[in-house]
Amino acid sequence: MAAQPAPTPGAARAPVVSVRGLRRDYPMGDEIVRALRGVSFDIGAGEHVAIVGPSGCGKSTLLNLLGVIDRPTAGEVRIQGRDVGGLPDREATAFRLRHIGFVFQRFYLMPMLSARENVELPMAEAGVPAAARAARARELLAYVGLADRERHRPAQLSGGEQQRVAIARALANRPTLLLADEPTGELDAATGGEVIALFQRLREDGTTLVVVTHDDALARAAGRVIQMRDGGIVGR
Amino acid sequence: MLSLVLAAAMQLGTRGGPIAVPPHVRTIAIDTRLAEDARLRVGDRVVLAGQPAAAEGGDTVVVAAIVAPNADPSEIARADYRIRLHLSELQRLVGTGDRVDRFAVRTTAAPGRQDVTDEALARINAAAFGFHAYRSSEVAVRTSRTFQVVNRFHRAIALITIVASSIFLLCILVLRVDERRRDVAALRLLGISRRSIVGSIVVEAALISLVGSGLGTAVGWAASLAINWHYRGVYRTPLAFARVTPDIVLVAVALAIVLGVGAGALAATRLVRLPPLALFGR
Ligand SMILES: Nc1ncnc2c1ncn2[C@@H]1O[C@H](COP(=O)(O)OP(=O)(O)OP(=O)(O)O)[C@@H](O)[C@H]1O
Ligand SMILES: [Mg+2]
Repeated sequence: MAAQPAPTPGAARAPVVSVRGLRRDYPMGDEIVRALRGVSFDIGAGEHVAIVGPSGCGKSTLLNLLGVIDRPTAGEVRIQGRDVGGLPDREATAFRLRHIGFVFQRFYLMPMLSARENVELPMAEAGVPAAARAARARELLAYVGLADRERHRPAQLSGGEQQRVAIARALANRPTLLLADEPTGELDAATGGEVIALFQRLREDGTTLVVVTHDDALARAAGRVIQMRDGGIVGR
Repeated sequence: MLSLVLAAAMQLGTRGGPIAVPPHVRTIAIDTRLAEDARLRVGDRVVLAGQPAAAEGGDTVVVAAIVAPNADPSEIARADYRIRLHLSELQRLVGTGDRVDRFAVRTTAAPGRQDVTDEALARINAAAFGFHAYRSSEVAVRTSRTFQVVNRFHRAIALITIVASSIFLLCILVLRVDERRRDVAALRLLGISRRSIVGSIVVEAALISLVGSGLGTAVGWAASLAINWHYRGVYRTPLAFARVTPDIVLVAVALAIVLGVGAGALAATRLVRLPPLALFGR
């Protein structure tokens, strides 16, 4: 089976993610919801971080800011030294394509595409030649244990299998950072276990990974846990 | 009522082959509808009379030919029978002697001469003594004015149908694309550009339009066969009532693709303009 490439030596010293004084307010009519009240932390290369905390404490808000799909009210997010907080849409989109891998709670595979085509999608967007992306997609599907399912459509796969395809898709462009919001939220214990095992393997292979979860088993698989409450970090 | 048309020369397409008629026996030709309804066959004898009561005084003639009716739209709504008879028979029948409203002359060009019809027209009209000669094509144009108006009505109806159904289709397409908002949001989060998303939706819309117009053409073609079969039976005419011509197919396909691409582009740009998180319904 193909292994994820090891992180570049030396990258461990400079953090992959550096968050300083991060705030995100949502204006709601006259009131303001303070979803993040100034959080700061670093994540080193190859680290596997779980963000946990009660519902509504700001976990997804934080993950969205790390994933460059939202803009902070104040503070900064740096990924590999680049301040990504204020990127205009076009640049943010390009940045996500090359540097961020997303895994969603509800998989969001394209229903009309096969497993392999779903994995190829981000590579096609990045301009990877067809032969190279087919080879890489096969390699990734083998990595997530679905080598024999490459022609299957999402509807022909179980929830756990769909999520593994989604993880393969997230890894397609060799992202700097893999983000997952409740990746086992839609799965039962058994299929959730497959995904957890896969994350463990990603960690061993040196993928930098941030997972938001309510799932204790998934949190335990992480090397480091960030505890949140009311928009702030209460323990790590 | 009998509608009578005289034929200067009885060169008629016959059913059942020509029959040998003794020279002293007068002949007529009838159309297939009359033949069917009156159960007449070539060789049958009939009595010609202006009124049913006057049948005894009528002439006995032989049905010499059964002719298929012309594909003439101006006669479609009339269930008249057509009978072709010799001029003398006609005159005796209507009782007005030497009176003819119009008659047709078929010209045949001698080898190497093309202009016989023009020449004949010029000569007749120069000598005009109370009547005028026209080319049959001119007559056709004059008598088809009604159909030109009907045709314009058809165009107007078609235009209204197309505009109304395009708006309908546009709404459906926008809705269908809107159903994919979560997929679009996911794609945007994965870093797929707005342009790629709009592009793929437009390509998909174009393909669907192409397939749809192909299916529509097939259904239309089948429907035209059914319509023609039905009305040809009802009106007993060889007229074509509905036709699917290459021009029509071309217009339909082009229109479908233009509409599909337009609607797809509109729906897609509407969708990708929103921030991806808003698309997730937060
Ligand atoms: N778009 C928004 N507009 C207004 N308020 C929002 C918005 N998104 C999040 N919030 C609010 O911000 C707070 C943090 O939300 P967030 O989704 O980050 O919580 P969470 O920790 O991910 O919760 P859960 O575990 O239930 O997913 C909540 O109070 C939420 O209601
Ligand atoms: Mg959340």
